[in-house]
Amino acid sequence: MIIEEVMNREMDEKEKWLFDHTPSQVTKVKKISDLKGPKDEMAITEGLLYIVGEDGIKVEQIAMALDIDYDKASSILKDIQKKYAKEEYGIELVDYGGYYKFLTKKEIHPYAQRLLDLTKTNSLSQSALETLAIIAYKQPVTRIEIEDLRGVGSDMMLRKLLARDLIREAGRSEAPGRPILYEVTETFMDSFKLESLSDLPELPEHTSDEESESLFSE
Amino acid sequence: MPFLASTEQFEGPLDLMLHLIRENKLDIFDLDMSILCDEYLAYLKHMEDLRLEVESEYLVELATLIEYKSKRLLPKKDDGLEGKYEEDPRDALVRRLLEYQKYKEVSDILYEAYEDRSLQMAKPMSEEKELASDQDDEYYDGNIQDLYKAMNRVLRRLQLQKPIATRYTQKEISIDDRLLVIRAKLKDLPDIFTFEDLVDDCKVKEEVIVTFLAVLDLIKENVLDFKVDDSDEIYLKRSIG
Repeated sequence: MIIEEVMNREMDEKEKWLFDHTPSQVTKVKKISDLKGPKDEMAITEGLLYIVGEDGIKVEQIAMALDIDYDKASSILKDIQKKYAKEEYGIELVDYGGYYKFLTKKEIHPYAQRLLDLTKTNSLSQSALETLAIIAYKQPVTRIEIEDLRGVGSDMMLRKLLARDLIREAGRSEAPGRPILYEVTETFMDSFKLESLSDLPELPEHTSDEESESLFSE
Repeated sequence: MPFLASTEQFEGPLDLMLHLIRENKLDIFDLDMSILCDEYLAYLKHMEDLRLEVESEYLVELATLIEYKSKRLLPKKDDGLEGKYEEDPRDALVRRLLEYQKYKEVSDILYEAYEDRSLQMAKPMSEEKELASDQDDEYYDGNIQDLYKAMNRVLRRLQLQKPIATRYTQKEISIDDRLLVIRAKLKDLPDIFTFEDLVDDCKVKEEVIVTFLAVLDLIKENVLDFKVDDSDEIYLKRSIG
């Protein structure tokens, strides 16, 4: 449409130059407005997801790129998620820590191992797991609180986890000495397959009749 | 001496105590501190026999256990205060053990998810492009060495421009005076400009140096941000706000 309007008029020298030199802009506008049907929105979103790869993309970013509202973008993503959950697809769309991304399904892994030399890397020690668990459930939390709970010094461990981008500093506590607070990152959410912190497994409760009795016995 | 070497790795004193409680089938809710203390001590001794380093955290907890045990051996003095204002150390220990056990158990569940996730793979971003929302911020993040290098370059150029025959005249140039000139210049300059834009009116090295010092002042006052590119060009940018 834009092209036609311009063509139907006599162009002066300047307009002509502009027209010749901005074809990409004209076509870009045209294409986007032409492509927006319900099916296309899904296709575009899929394409964007493919481009961002492991970095993932937020609902807000899809909404911004497609110029649609948040709920719409969210439902498109959910549709794609459903589509790829089917057995016939080898990849799936996950949402960890607010970022949507395509991952190969874990059923692919044995075959990938035949194809590639996949040596196990980045395993986490038991003490790293404990420290992460404490931070995830209690965040934001100070080093002292973590150490009290674990009964061991955790300075080195916190540094390692910071370096692996599994935790980050989250300001300072108002307690004396204003100690640094820690919280888990999106990388943590991704590594542990969590959509949000409310997806964490419930902490096991250890109760005993005797314990509750002793509360009243004195 | 029986060979008791345990290959198990303990994450700390609490972990060890939980292990001992399990091994000796103690009831954690009615903990026999005396047995726990003996077992704990035996284990640490054994570690020493094996010439393993016993970390200080283990010793701290040992001291607590022994203190508790020795108190029990002394005749109890009933002053009517005991136990009322202080939490029984046994209860405190049990509470810590239970709390610790919760996180230890849940970390096993988390580990399964972690293992699962490591079987799934993603592709890197198609192109190393910044996403549209975050731009321009990290651009001005040079360090002081960059500034130093860039300053050297300006001085070198000045050297080349200088006529070969020179006379020496002493002239005092204060930073404050130069700051006034620079502030006036800033009004006419675009948002982003080079250090050289600021020294185009300088005739002697001293003026350039004073200008540089004045710029350092402005950077410190957050009036300007700076960046140095590969060819040692200093770019300056007016800070926002």
